[in-house]
Amino acid sequence: MTGYVGNRIPRVDSAAKVTGAAIYGVDVALAGMLHGAVLRSPYPRARIVSIDTSAAAAAPGVQTVVTGRDFSLLFGGVIKDQSILAIDEVRYAGEPVVAVSATTEHEAQEALSLIRVEYEELPAVLDMRAALANDAPLVHPDLHTYNRRPGDYIVPHTNINTIYRHERGDVEAGFARSDYVFEGEYTAHALSHAALEVHVAIAQYDSVTGGYTVWVSSERPFILRDQLAPGLGVEPSRIRMIAAEVGGTFGGKGIPIAEAIAAGLARHSGGRPVRVEFTREEDLVASQTRVPAILKLKTGINRDGFMVARSAEVLWDSGAYTAYTVDVSIRGAQTIIGPYRIPNLSLLSRQVYTNKPVTGSFRGFGTTQVTWACETHMDEITTEMGLDPVAFRLQNGYEEGDPYINGQILHGINLTDTIKRAATEIGWGSVERKPAPHLRRGKGIAAMIKPSKTPSSANVVINLGQDGRAAVVCAAPEIGAGQRTVIAQIAADSIGIRIEDVSVPDADTAITPYNSPVASSRTTYHMGNAVLEAGTKVQAELVALAGRYLEVDPDELEVRDGGIFDLDGEHQITVKGLLSKYSKEGYWITASARYSSAGSPLLKADPGEEWISSIFWMLCTHAAEVEVDVETGVIRVVKIAAAADVGKAINPLTVEQQIEGGVVMGVSNALFESFSYRDGRVENGNFADYKLATIHDIPEIVPIIVESVHDEAPFGAKGVGEPANAATPPAIGNAIFDAVGIRIRDLPITPEKVLEALEEKAAADVSKLKPPL
Amino acid sequence: MMITVKLTVNGKLRQVHVEPRLTLLEVLREELLLTGTKEGCGVGECGTCVVLHDGEPVTSCLVLAGDADGAEIETIEGLAEDGELTAVQRAFVKTGALQCGFCTPAMVLTTTALFRKNDQPAIEDVKNALGGVLCRCGVYPKLLEAVTEIKGANP
Repeated sequence: MTGYVGNRIPRVDSAAKVTGAAIYGVDVALAGMLHGAVLRSPYPRARIVSIDTSAAAAAPGVQTVVTGRDFSLLFGGVIKDQSILAIDEVRYAGEPVVAVSATTEHEAQEALSLIRVEYEELPAVLDMRAALANDAPLVHPDLHTYNRRPGDYIVPHTNINTIYRHERGDVEAGFARSDYVFEGEYTAHALSHAALEVHVAIAQYDSVTGGYTVWVSSERPFILRDQLAPGLGVEPSRIRMIAAEVGGTFGGKGIPIAEAIAAGLARHSGGRPVRVEFTREEDLVASQTRVPAILKLKTGINRDGFMVARSAEVLWDSGAYTAYTVDVSIRGAQTIIGPYRIPNLSLLSRQVYTNKPVTGSFRGFGTTQVTWACETHMDEITTEMGLDPVAFRLQNGYEEGDPYINGQILHGINLTDTIKRAATEIGWGSVERKPAPHLRRGKGIAAMIKPSKTPSSANVVINLGQDGRAAVVCAAPEIGAGQRTVIAQIAADSIGIRIEDVSVPDADTAITPYNSPVASSRTTYHMGNAVLEAGTKVQAELVALAGRYLEVDPDELEVRDGGIFDLDGEHQITVKGLLSKYSKEGYWITASARYSSAGSPLLKADPGEEWISSIFWMLCTHAAEVEVDVETGVIRVVKIAAAADVGKAINPLTVEQQIEGGVVMGVSNALFESFSYRDGRVENGNFADYKLATIHDIPEIVPIIVESVHDEAPFGAKGVGEPANAATPPAIGNAIFDAVGIRIRDLPITPEKVLEALEEKAAADVSKLKPPL
Repeated sequence: MMITVKLTVNGKLRQVHVEPRLTLLEVLREELLLTGTKEGCGVGECGTCVVLHDGEPVTSCLVLAGDADGAEIETIEGLAEDGELTAVQRAFVKTGALQCGFCTPAMVLTTTALFRKNDQPAIEDVKNALGGVLCRCGVYPKLLEAVTEIKGANP
């Protein structure tokens, strides 16, 4: 091993990104390319009475105009409930109804204004609780007829598209044994992924083969392909997805969105490629958001401070179509006891359709909502019982060898050190309460647990060319989290060449072998394992070749830094020099490898519940110090100490980036971001009114890398991207309670809510002082 | 109707004939094919499309191309010479002040303009300069490290 792994290596994509050379999805352009534009529904629910596209079709530059009538097939992640363009009925304000392709973007937009759609408004379901009512209008009356993954998770003739229960132990007996029982209800709101690069795609249809080529900006080219295919009525392999550099995704670019419109238009545009780029407003209003949730928790504790039982009822709002949210709701809900030993559990999770924008996977895959609820609830428990939040978490927290809710034995985890080190860094136990007359400070802590998609597989091919350079061919798009760098580090070390001599080309589903999505913080672990194996094979072949050429025993040779050395460390020949000896016949070394978590003994669990197991578990703890302005209600986050159990950091620089970036996102999610709706329409489809954190808003952030030992992980590395933002909002909320004694249970934490809570608290404090009447 | 716009872009005189509604951003990306400048919102709210206009950072989506006639424009493509990165670019690479990289051209150009005026900017000046450029990946802490690195290289 040469020694890139474990070191602070500058990102291999840096130079292209600081010079403007990197080509993103929005930068791809093809000769003869048309531009698409979309007319969207102004109503959350309405029947489409008629569509008149004649004037638009005749407008200058227009190639084609398509409606839902042109696409009768449905697609979707788990339940195929969505069409490329609305058919007969619109189910959310912003749903695509008509699409136009034209020579220029301007002409396409102009043509939209000539389309006449007559709607008949229908009563809409705009609230997830209302969606449960017996007399609620059904968003999808035909739900039971849709193609979908087998299983009894839907409730036909209701708005419930996912119902999931999990029982462990005996929860009623647990509550009966408890000395104290606490209950609380918490809400987590919709959030935009708000990647700075909007949704974009270029699609081309080949009428001879019936196939499509789609240039995309996506973390999941294979999943995107597989999901779009049923909507187009073709086999997945008939769609070739070519992924460019991705300008941010955060879980948001994995379902057909712009891709569906572009491919649909391409089908009817005479073979010309069609480019569809969303406006920022379309991106905010009509791509997808985090799934909003209402979480009710009940926890029983004994007098020694051990948690005995938890019951939970979670309600999720998928919006108008399910996309990935069947799994988001289930996987998220499964973490409902947090990273703690609670032997008795009863969980009911339900997800409903509403006439609101589509929701989906968002960094954390359901665990951000759950972590907000659980960790706020934990703080209420410790407050009421007078326990120290740090000690309470350490006392109840998972340790190596503990059983998870399905009996899986947790392996390779180190929650304890994340709690201890975050607490130490924040200076737990001391705070300057009142730095100014109008300011109050407090500290709070929150922990979380996150599984990774299991089972899943990663395939890779490594080509070592005659110039001594290796191409690592795999479908793991660089989405900003450093995938390309980590893959290059592992490849360079396992082959024994310099990292400058390793490239990681863009994903292309016609060329790169299959990989599950770049999601679920799985890439370093899964692709890392595959690359390590393939690179090791390449090195073995190099050594054998060198042995033949040098006429020495291959066992007495080693490869590092792009050279072949003997066991005394004497340089014999460069890798490039060795391969060039075979240039006449042409000599490449090619090796492939596959890693799959399926069948790992680590997944063993109670009978029938193995599917809940995760190949690795990510733990993290964030501790916050905040300052509350009691006159304005404005919260300033002073500091976040963010400790993540990453297993082993392949690259501490990129791990720090993930932790810091996650905290920034967590601060933004908790304090600033919120959609406002009027009559089911998003009113704030712009960055002036949907506020993201800027450099002015960030606290001091101390990333803390905690290590653990995982037997199957490449060099011990697990994942880090998703847990990084989840624990920040509850840590902030708990710190606010510590500062001023108010409890915010529904996100976001706005100055208005803080002031209102402060006033209520002041009134309650006064009434406590009054003598009883 | 078309208008003729003359611009000096990265030191080279460029002339385009465009519809008057086109923005500087559209001319740079679509006419001159300088795609290093990115669009994040198109209405001046995210700062992703910053270029230097006579040395000053501007959101190029809010500048009509015609209004930039005669101006000196610098884009991200114009900073490195013969593959040699500038001190600002080197600092971004070394400290890891980029993730997905979509806001990076705007961040690099804004930082470049800041340091041309003052090679030891105060932290508040840095935040005020970069406060108009959004980064969803959250590289802000590493950006501040990059700035410290550049200040150290300018003793």
